[in-house]
Amino acid sequence: MINDDLALRDLSEVADAIAAGRITSVQATEACLERIAVWQPRTNAFLRLHKEKALEQARAMDKELAAGQRRGPLHGVPMAHKDMYYRTGEISTGGSAIRRSWVAPVTSTVLQKLDAAGVVELGFLNMAEFAAGPTGHNVHHGHCRNPWDDKRVTGGSSSGSGASVAARMVYGALGSDTGGSIRLPASACGVVGMKATYGRVSRAGAVARSWTLDHVGPLTRTVRDNARMLAVVAGQDPDDSTTSEKPVPDYEALLDGGVQGLKIGFALPDALAPVEPQIGAAVQAAADALGKLGAVIAPAKMPDFTALYRAAEVIVKCEAAAMHRPWMEADAAYANQVRTRMEAGFFIPATQYIDALRLRAHFVREFLDAAMDGVDAVMLPAIPFPVPTIEETDVEASGGPATLSMVARFTGLTRPFNTLGLPALSVPCGFDGNGAPIGLQLIGRPFDEAVLYRIGHAYQGATDHHRKVPT
Amino acid sequence: MDDKTRLAAGIAKQLQGLTYDDKRLAEIAAEVEVLNETVRKAAAQHLTFDDDPAAFASVLAKEAK
Repeated sequence: MINDDLALRDLSEVADAIAAGRITSVQATEACLERIAVWQPRTNAFLRLHKEKALEQARAMDKELAAGQRRGPLHGVPMAHKDMYYRTGEISTGGSAIRRSWVAPVTSTVLQKLDAAGVVELGFLNMAEFAAGPTGHNVHHGHCRNPWDDKRVTGGSSSGSGASVAARMVYGALGSDTGGSIRLPASACGVVGMKATYGRVSRAGAVARSWTLDHVGPLTRTVRDNARMLAVVAGQDPDDSTTSEKPVPDYEALLDGGVQGLKIGFALPDALAPVEPQIGAAVQAAADALGKLGAVIAPAKMPDFTALYRAAEVIVKCEAAAMHRPWMEADAAYANQVRTRMEAGFFIPATQYIDALRLRAHFVREFLDAAMDGVDAVMLPAIPFPVPTIEETDVEASGGPATLSMVARFTGLTRPFNTLGLPALSVPCGFDGNGAPIGLQLIGRPFDEAVLYRIGHAYQGATDHHRKVPT
Repeated sequence: MDDKTRLAAGIAKQLQGLTYDDKRLAEIAAEVEVLNETVRKAAAQHLTFDDDPAAFASVLAKEAK
């Protein structure tokens, strides 16, 4: 019971309690392991659990602390990560069968940063094959299941990250986001997910889905936890030339500014899938709650997402086809829906790919000039419909157009912000008629993650959606 | 096999060294047509000679808060 209570606490609370000597890292790790024993059979969130290694790390962290050495703000906190972050000498499957036994030759920059901050690593998490899938289906390692209802999808591609954080198996997890892969599982599992600005977090040593559109980021239970974790993993990296030299703010110190006077644009756009009424009502209620806290809510002038969305499709298909070509030519073991989503990349002319890249600057300017003119953030749903079942979104047998249609419905409100590279935060804002979570998405100006955290934190201070735990 | 599917078959075989059945080629041709057309139209509407792919990162940096 004591350990269960400990597992239910937030990341920052546990990190601070370890630092103050009120609990040990070993206790926190054992609490997570007890949760995992109960929840792993129900969710299939973990691909590999490193129980003994994690306990050994936790003991080392406790010893360091006893000697007066605190590595950083996450010292002794147990986490696990999407199985696409390389660690030297460890298997890294990328959710695939192709790399089932592949051993990484390097450690990713973000894992190095978490190590330096004192994180204990419980293992690696389920994900869509090669991060290509918005639902959490995985034919090679078993589908990941939503802790709120094991018949429903988790969202993907960071399926295990969403499920493990929601089920309180870990205090935080890294995901990655090429078209919504952090925000979709955050929304469907009822946790907080941040896709920071393109260039804010290093991608070095992480499996690529699309070099141009990939974003690395944290999934956590609260906005405060997320702010703490992003501050640790963000920053310039010589191993990723696309990272920004802009200094990383102390996001956590900026959380308590409140929303008084902030202006937030509100939109329910019908991008490739209409926003269903119960989702629209939940996001409207969130807007009302923020209004009561002092924010000024105004309609957002959203551009048409169609070209933005299709430009992203062109980019991701061309890049994925190029990187996967040797395996595709060898007829390697891909899921049908993963293979068919890449194939068009072999047929798109290079001129169209280059024009899609050239259009990005125009799209960003257009969005900032229209939707973000005079506002601090824009709010909209993350997923425009209630969380579907695993069965009704299982397109493996059909592939082709059925896959494209399902992907478009899921990612219609998230993928455009990968093209734009803007920061996007998903925060729980209620539950649908089936009892599955609903996510509110907040979009900010480039590198203004801090204002999204400020809004999300104020919202969580006034609501309790994030305090509900699946049973 | 219509013209677009025939073209896709030619690209697959002659340029990419890949083989697909006719049904799949027709699906790919339809998918690529939509994507190409959207990007071509957007490019015609918005891009000029001087637009550089690297401008994207510059815009993010310049517009940063």
